[in-house]
Amino acid sequence: MSPSVSLISSKFAASIFYAKSHQGETCGSNGLPLTLNSIAVFGRAQSMKALKHPNLCQYLDFIRSKHERMIVVSEYHGTTLEEKFHMIKNNQQNILRIFHQIASALTFLDEKDLIVHNLEPKHILLDELNNVKIFNYGLFNMTNCGEYVSFPIGNLCYFSPERILGSTKNIKSDVWSLGIMMTELFLDFKFCDNWKLSNTMRKILSFQGCENVLQKIASEFDRTNEYEKLPKDIRNLLEKCLTVSLKDRLLPEEIIDHEAFRENLEFHLYTNPPKNKESLLNLPLDQIYHLWMLAGGDVHAELKKERLIRCEPPILLTPNVVTLDGKALGAKKSQSYLYDDRIAILSLSNLKERLKKISPLRYFPLIHTPSCPYNYNNGMEKLPLVIRERDTEYQFHRILLFDRMLKGYPSTRDMIVKEAQTDIPPFLRGKIWAAILDVIPNGSYTGIDKVTPTQTDRQIEVDVPRCHQYDEYLSSPDGHRKLKRLLKAWVTAHPQYVYWQGLDSLTAPFLYLNFNDEELAFLSLYKFVPKYLQWFFLKDNSAVIKEYLSKFAQLTAYHEPVLSTHLVGINFIPELFAIPWFLTMFSHVFPLHKILHLWDKLMLGDNSYPLFIGISILKQLRPTLLSSGFNECILLFSDLPDIVMENCVVQSQEMYETTPKSLSHREHISREEKAGEWDISDLTLDQIQSELCPRISANDFVDLLRYSPERLCPVDLRGALEFSRLYIEGSINIPFTSVSLSEKNLESLGIPDLNKILEERIIVVYSNLHENCILFSKFLVECGVPRVCVLHKGFDILHTIVPNILLSK
Amino acid sequence: MTRNYGALETKRFLVTPETKDFPRNNYGMATARGNNGSGQRPNNTTQNRICQFKLVLLGESAVGKSSLVLRFVKGQFHEYQESTIGAAFLTQTLCIDDTTVKFEIWDTAGQERYHSLAPMYYRGAQAAIVVYDIQNQDSFERAKNWVKELQRQATPNIVIALAGNKADLSQSRVVEHDEAKQYAEENGLLFLETSAKTAMNVNDIFLAIAKKLPKVEGNNGNVHGRRLNENEPNRQMNNCCK
Repeated sequence: MSPSVSLISSKFAASIFYAKSHQGETCGSNGLPLTLNSIAVFGRAQSMKALKHPNLCQYLDFIRSKHERMIVVSEYHGTTLEEKFHMIKNNQQNILRIFHQIASALTFLDEKDLIVHNLEPKHILLDELNNVKIFNYGLFNMTNCGEYVSFPIGNLCYFSPERILGSTKNIKSDVWSLGIMMTELFLDFKFCDNWKLSNTMRKILSFQGCENVLQKIASEFDRTNEYEKLPKDIRNLLEKCLTVSLKDRLLPEEIIDHEAFRENLEFHLYTNPPKNKESLLNLPLDQIYHLWMLAGGDVHAELKKERLIRCEPPILLTPNVVTLDGKALGAKKSQSYLYDDRIAILSLSNLKERLKKISPLRYFPLIHTPSCPYNYNNGMEKLPLVIRERDTEYQFHRILLFDRMLKGYPSTRDMIVKEAQTDIPPFLRGKIWAAILDVIPNGSYTGIDKVTPTQTDRQIEVDVPRCHQYDEYLSSPDGHRKLKRLLKAWVTAHPQYVYWQGLDSLTAPFLYLNFNDEELAFLSLYKFVPKYLQWFFLKDNSAVIKEYLSKFAQLTAYHEPVLSTHLVGINFIPELFAIPWFLTMFSHVFPLHKILHLWDKLMLGDNSYPLFIGISILKQLRPTLLSSGFNECILLFSDLPDIVMENCVVQSQEMYETTPKSLSHREHISREEKAGEWDISDLTLDQIQSELCPRISANDFVDLLRYSPERLCPVDLRGALEFSRLYIEGSINIPFTSVSLSEKNLESLGIPDLNKILEERIIVVYSNLHENCILFSKFLVECGVPRVCVLHKGFDILHTIVPNILLSK
Repeated sequence: MTRNYGALETKRFLVTPETKDFPRNNYGMATARGNNGSGQRPNNTTQNRICQFKLVLLGESAVGKSSLVLRFVKGQFHEYQESTIGAAFLTQTLCIDDTTVKFEIWDTAGQERYHSLAPMYYRGAQAAIVVYDIQNQDSFERAKNWVKELQRQATPNIVIALAGNKADLSQSRVVEHDEAKQYAEENGLLFLETSAKTAMNVNDIFLAIAKKLPKVEGNNGNVHGRRLNENEPNRQMNNCCK
């Protein structure tokens, strides 16, 4: 049944089972469709990936496919005990060692409140050193005690009496199975081998009321000699594993402490196999598996090749009668829905081939040694992100590099941020985001009350089942539970804030990335909100949101004057479409895979970054928006059409980098330093709302003047006389009194080649009268001039700049 | 179950061919004006009159406001309709006799916290659908509050319809049909129990509103949708003077 050891060059295997499909009624009492059992399994199974123990095969992936089929990918290494039975049976020391290692795996599982319930020799793998690795131990748990599948779980021969009588959920039933397996080895026989089910069942039940089950088994299976030869302590151990009374049966941890193992304890423990000569195989398994998939690994294809997935002609499965409520009768029961314990070994040869040229040194990037380059990007960073994310070698380098840096976090945080600017490998995204957000897990999440009912519960209750439900993680019952807990915890941890609809969407990406690490998801959200959404979740957030949207309108005018003029003209104000954008940082408007790429960049920017994302979305839709009226525009945003994320990210990054910081100044942010004399401060909402163009601070203005005057075009609106007395180098004087703003045309200003002069420059308008600046800057925007801003505090502030920047003729 | 983002783009406008999937012909639901409006004209006699109305949906969250609109406008139903933040805007046109009625629908967020935004949407609206969930008494009480607020603060003569949604789940009904009906009669509201899921009474409620709205040739421009700015005076639509 299972491949023999010589065939195994791989470490992974895939197996299949089918979740129970809902018959007939497909809606629950709340009107929502019943969650597919495969999705429920999918959600529950995720936590199994986090189980790491030397005596357990690590779970690597769970894949849902058609017809409620679940594919489980797990570590698979070694030969089954079933096959090795005859090699082991005569060696008491080895048997004891296996005994001990299984018990130690059970102890580990018991600590996590997990039960195996399908222990049998087929699921005990032994490597070359006869170390135990238990395989397929999660089936009972991931199917919610078998509730989500239609087949029984486990091999009846190894069932304990109480399990046959229907009692599950007790780890001691696993101890019984272990006892039977070990008895078989010690006494060299097979218990109830190839018996009819009813006979096996009768036999096991016959042990009830029996004082010494071991003895009874020995005599009934004609093993009395072997039984008597057993050392006393071993006999005692087996007897205590095989008591009918649960009270007397040992717990896994008591087995480990049993006197039978006292002697030679070292020998019983797991011995690390020698390091593999192939560096690839020394990587963590989940990394190898991820790379395997990138290298073209296809679990489906492998299963098909091994004939584990068979196609049955649908005609054979047609029912005779279908009732009105959808129940199908008379169809032949498909064989494929029974449990199939075959496995398909996933070959690593493709991956090895892909990575064989990588020198062993590259497995150990030296991040602190400047003489050793740790970047092996080979110019890949210039290729589109989608290509980089799918390139095996590139991801190999990125994963190893980030993995190493993450091990040094928090002291390596700056390096992580720097590398993240290139890109973020999807495999480690959750951890990298957390590092960028300065998250340091400290166990505080456990202490937050997520249970006590609150007034917000109903709202969370109705929002969670609608939040990104196309995703398997978030639509699973476990996903719902986790999201609810996260939201409740966040609300509890922030008495100053309330739950606003949208917080669910905002939390979703963090949960999606850290599905097995709620604390990391929580802390990431906890840090994310003040960084980008300070005070957005106040009970009365209107001032915050109004300021934000006004700033958005101003920056739109700055970067896209023509579009802005059009939108203002049709009264298409951001209040009507941009609230969900910013309140959820776009997580309510885009599907998860797009949000991830958007946030990769967002994380690296400051609180103004999202504004530029908003503008880049407008930019992308510009032709449509410009040719549309109000209704068409708003319809466009009701269903945000396909936005190409890569362009969006590139454009917002560019705007973010080239826009002077003070232009995106908002009062409502958390500030570490107090604003100085030459910064912007104390702007009222009315002021921001009444000005079409953003203001620039004297600091930013002077910086431009000093360090990049070629990017600057100061426009001085004072009278010619004043201008001749004191002026800024390179400035143009357009006395406000001399211009007529009624004609929206630059030529009306009468300055030759003004278009050329303004091109590519940041136009800073100033005067002694702020009102004039507002009117004139608006005029420029309406003429379609981009990058227009107004100097905060006007010309006067320039007098105070030291060293002096004013010239006189 | 899957949320198909790309596909929605083409369905944005009500003139798309997919509208034919939906049994709306009973109501002579038209596509856009000018397009094949002539086909809708009975006896080819007079030019269609076109009226535009602003309609707002209000109600507790998760009662099915967005689903009602989606059913009415696109003939679709999404089991996992996402929550609405702020508001969404959609349009749909129907024909009554020789009049084309174009609804500009503002679908608002249900959470109480978004209440402060609501006036922005119902200001200037000629019609409102206040929705509750027949399985939820609180949502009915909330609906009553919305009705009061509309009667006090919205456009005078606003046509208000009360929709008891999720009528397909009548087995877990909490709000009795008669109770709601009586309340509606006392307050001069149109009333229907609807189900966005089965499409029951969805078109009917919009049709009933359209019938009750005063109709006079409106202008063809799209100026009406704009009046959402809080600073703008609360003008009455000038096309409703019959």
